Amino acid sequence: MISCEGLTKFYGNHQAIADVDLHVGEGEIVGFLGPNAAGKTTTMRILTSYIPPSAGRAEVAGHDVVTESLDSRRSIGYLPETSTLYRDMRVTQYLRFCAGLRGMGRAETNERLDYVLDICGLQERPDDIIGTLSLGFRQRVGLAQALLHDPPVLILDEPTVGLDPNQIIEVRDLIKSLAGDYTVMLSTHILPEAQMTCERVIIINHGRIIAEDTPQNLTAQIRQAETISITLSDARDDNVERRLLDLSDVVAVRPAGPGTYHVDTAVGSDVRAQVAQFVVERGWGLLELRPVEMTLEDVFRQLTTEEEGVE
Amino acid sequence: MRNVLTIAGKELRSYFVSPMAYVILAFYLGICGLVFALSVSAPQAEADMAGMFHTMVFIALIITPVITMGLLSQEQATGSMELLMTNPVRDAEVVMGKYLGAMGLFVIVLIGTLEFPIMMSRYGEPDWNAILAGYIGVLLAGMAFMAIGLLASSITASQIAAAVIGYVILLFLWLIGWLAYAAGEQVGNVAQHVSILENFQDFAMGIIDSRPIIFFLSLTFFALFVAVRTIENRRTI
Repeated sequence: MISCEGLTKFYGNHQAIADVDLHVGEGEIVGFLGPNAAGKTTTMRILTSYIPPSAGRAEVAGHDVVTESLDSRRSIGYLPETSTLYRDMRVTQYLRFCAGLRGMGRAETNERLDYVLDICGLQERPDDIIGTLSLGFRQRVGLAQALLHDPPVLILDEPTVGLDPNQIIEVRDLIKSLAGDYTVMLSTHILPEAQMTCERVIIINHGRIIAEDTPQNLTAQIRQAETISITLSDARDDNVERRLLDLSDVVAVRPAGPGTYHVDTAVGSDVRAQVAQFVVERGWGLLELRPVEMTLEDVFRQLTTEEEGVE
Repeated sequence: MRNVLTIAGKELRSYFVSPMAYVILAFYLGICGLVFALSVSAPQAEADMAGMFHTMVFIALIITPVITMGLLSQEQATGSMELLMTNPVRDAEVVMGKYLGAMGLFVIVLIGTLEFPIMMSRYGEPDWNAILAGYIGVLLAGMAFMAIGLLASSITASQIAAAVIGYVILLFLWLIGWLAYAAGEQVGNVAQHVSILENFQDFAMGIIDSRPIIFFLSLTFFALFVAVRTIENRRTI
């Protein structure tokens, strides 16, 4: 439903995105992940025809976003990063205005209006003035307008930014409930969010796509070592690191806090028993020993710092 | 066309939910009323609107940048432009919608001024044809003013800057007529032709001539065209 090839955007001399290729299939929920200023918003703005690409092409629902932009825009529901709505309008008034711009008839508008007010939890405040709503409710109005014309594609730029924890959970559940019926591309810099809501994750950094897979595969793929964390109460011996390294299969030992060390071992080997025995024999006072699970956060950090290393 | 009317309706409504429309109406009708009262209370006053029309067109110039300054700059400043422009609407439809919204307010103001000729007709016999010509002139000038104001609003995200730019362009086109008297014949002629004041003169006297009509219409068209191009260009930044 969404596809880009060689998408590149320059702002003056600054290259915001470079050679971005991405494909999102029908009914997929894809997370677009990256640190701030990585090029997420730029990519989404190109997809929604707000700005044209400097090079490359993009299609949404089979329509080129530059040459057939009215058609592609018709098939997109877009929630911009700062979903600035007209503060002086009432909720339904604003939604009717949007319906008008999207060519919806009166009957269709009324029907969809009831539906989106309900699904976005706005049924109790349809006549509130948008400027008086809290940030969370404004975000819901933003979502409501994105869903209003029942578009096949939803592009959501940081949909949970500025919401309180309860609202974040509500919005995530809402997005998850859209899976299958809609093709969703959502950007975020909050990693657990992508892990929780998305079937597939695309990681972008410095304007380039650096990884693309399911959250599970990504963590597995990046995992080059098993890591265990040990905490010692009595490690006066300065040579803990070197002594641990002497053990077979231990690849690296890194201090990770007072008395805590991360021990990397070769993939597939389990050295926990060996390490425990070794530590106890030395009398270092073993307080804790646990395997370290790699999160998407680690993957992300690793990928993004590797990228910097290349430059 | 439907998109144009949707946007125009939204703009017109937002003038009336803010104090803007009422302030504009009070200011415009207040000043015109004052001038009207002074002109009809003079001894041997005639049932003639020529002086009134000059006031009306000048006050229209004064209120224009205030009406138009927010139309596009505010959208750019707050970021609501992004949501608007990612709807399936053409850039020209957005500009035309905003323009018609502003013109809607101006027409409402003009309807308010109809009280003056109506009052006049109770005590005298005004020349209705001359009054019609005057109103056509004010409307045409207003069309050009609003288009220029909208153009100013399209080039900056700051409402204040948009208002200042609007005043600079409008006052320049107003005052350039003075150059006609100061400068030599050739420059003076050009200045006279592009001066709002000179072009309005005929209408105020009750004459409908094609040249000033074409002047105001082309000014309107040109300003709207540049506004559309400015919005299109913003996409390529």
